[in-house]
Amino acid sequence: MTPDGKKIPNDNIVRLVDIRKTYVSGNLRVPVLKGIDATVRRGEFVGFIGTSGSGKSTLLNILGMLDVPTRGQYYLEGIEVGGLSDMEQATIRNRKIGFIFQSFNLFSHLSVEQNIEVPMVYGQVPTKIRRKRSLDLIARVGLGHRLGHRPTQLSGGECQRIAIARALSNNPAFILADEPTGNLDEKTSDEIMKLFHELNRRQGVTIVMVTHNPAFGPHYDKIIRLRDGKIDDTPFEWEIEQEAHRAEAERKEAEQ
Amino acid sequence: MMLVGDFFRLSLHNLLLHKVRSTLTSLGVIFGVGSVIAMLAISEGAKRSALAQIEAMGVDKIIVFSKRPPVSGKSESSKNASIMERFGLSSVDRSNIAKMDNIGQITAVFNTRKPILKGTRRTDLKLMGCDYEFLRDSQARMQKGRWFSPSDYKNNRCVCVIGKNVKRQLFFLGSANIIGNTIRVGDDVFRIIGILDNRYSNQYPEIGGQNDMILIPMTTARALYKDYTSIREGRNFRIARVEYDLFLIKIKDTSCIDNTAKRVTRYLEKNHSETKDWGITVPLELLMRMEQTQNIFTIVMGSIAGISLVVGGIGIMNIMLANIYERRKEIGIRRALGAQKLDILLQFLIETVFLTSIGGLIGILLGVGIGSMITYYTGMPTIYTTWSIILALVISSLTGIIFGTYPAYKAAQQNPITVLRAE
Repeated sequence: MTPDGKKIPNDNIVRLVDIRKTYVSGNLRVPVLKGIDATVRRGEFVGFIGTSGSGKSTLLNILGMLDVPTRGQYYLEGIEVGGLSDMEQATIRNRKIGFIFQSFNLFSHLSVEQNIEVPMVYGQVPTKIRRKRSLDLIARVGLGHRLGHRPTQLSGGECQRIAIARALSNNPAFILADEPTGNLDEKTSDEIMKLFHELNRRQGVTIVMVTHNPAFGPHYDKIIRLRDGKIDDTPFEWEIEQEAHRAEAERKEAEQ
Repeated sequence: MMLVGDFFRLSLHNLLLHKVRSTLTSLGVIFGVGSVIAMLAISEGAKRSALAQIEAMGVDKIIVFSKRPPVSGKSESSKNASIMERFGLSSVDRSNIAKMDNIGQITAVFNTRKPILKGTRRTDLKLMGCDYEFLRDSQARMQKGRWFSPSDYKNNRCVCVIGKNVKRQLFFLGSANIIGNTIRVGDDVFRIIGILDNRYSNQYPEIGGQNDMILIPMTTARALYKDYTSIREGRNFRIARVEYDLFLIKIKDTSCIDNTAKRVTRYLEKNHSETKDWGITVPLELLMRMEQTQNIFTIVMGSIAGISLVVGGIGIMNIMLANIYERRKEIGIRRALGAQKLDILLQFLIETVFLTSIGGLIGILLGVGIGSMITYYTGMPTIYTTWSIILALVISSLTGIIFGTYPAYKAAQQNPITVLRAE
């Protein structure tokens, strides 16, 4: 049971077993990930939180199958993805993972609906179905009035909404978001986080968010803290502060 | 993996996105294909007109002609100066050849070698006596007026048919109708009854083309000059005796034209054993030899033009490599969204092939334009064959495949992580 009282089925989407990554440069061996074990279950909203240099980018690349670990296994919906060919990996990336980037990474020369269609193009979804689903998704992220626009004509928040719609287009097993609010102001960040929250709570979308930003702690079902390439369960300072704030607020509420 | 239609849509989209760059990139192929097409058209045109020239001499004929034998020594020639020189084909030869197997009609031509003057200046024109069949057998046609009639022959009339160049050389441009005018040669005056045009401008050995001839009936020529011709030696003329200058010998069965020609050659070798005062030409043989040399010519011309196509291809490769560096972020995003290496490879390859194929199409138009301009300004014939156009299209697409594969491979090998990090 989570703080919201949401039920999470015991169904592992992601299982990382002793993931290690060492970069070798000449004689220099730089261990970046030093044995990560973690699971993400269906419907969970998981935050991988770490400071820069904690290895979270590397972990993100491995989670997104853009990089392979030096050692360890990565199971996605029970399939060990390490030994797959480029073609199979690309197919899994296409069908199972919805990428969201800090800098949106939309194609500026395509309209918003064409941008949303890109993963479906690689998934060989027929043109008509593609168009229908992209229109549905635009409505879902609340940008129905922006049809036909180019990303350059949209605000940052709107761009990220389009990117979220694109990530959802193939009904992926989970959404992998890399610092999704990093380029946005506070207000817009809150809106985007609210959208993620809604997608997770109302529509059961599994979300893995990799971030250094502590501000959204309350949204996560589970926080996985990365320190120096390892998982460390000791709460960060800000978490203790946040907890204190919350306790304070509860106390005040009780007093009233 | 993308659907085929999506590949084409994407490639076209990307090319249209950078119109100026796409145009500049394909310029190399446009000019390369253009020059290949133009070169092939020119050499094909040259080939056809050369072949037509030979063909007009008659592929069903053997041509035997008189040749002035080389003078063996100057002292000898001056010693024998008093003796009348005599060489060439005779009426005996004519009747003997006519008796051989597989020989049809023999049409004869006699060159009077009379100087033809315009004012006081000597021209290159020739006064020729010819048989009635010469018009038909030389594949010429009347441009104006008429050919000789049998009664012109019977009555040794002083009439002449002139080649189309004669008109230009002897008369002023303004004189529109010259039929009925006269031409004076020495003391003889000939009335012009027709103008002849040999559109192949075929050249006969020793006597040249018909368009430069003033033709008179053979009987008239004999009546006026017998078999005397004047031979130019420096600034003087000597009289020599030549009965016939040219036989157009029709062959009944052309499949054994070789043997017939050999038989005629053997006869002439035997009967003109003292001096070599004759020659023989078999247009069919010439035609086949010409075809071979012209084909080599075409290959050489095409290859030279092909080099510019290779240069164009290298240009494309260069630009595609730069293009890929510039678009490495796009590649990264596409990989993250589920593109396989093969998707990326095909995307860039199809883009390049698109570029070169469209360039090839434009290049064909350019080549046709260049060819037409050459024909218009120089009068050189140009002929566009279907195979040269198909070849150009195939080669331009092949250029795309050959020079596009390496950049496309490089694009597919890009590591998506580093590529995505490139901001």
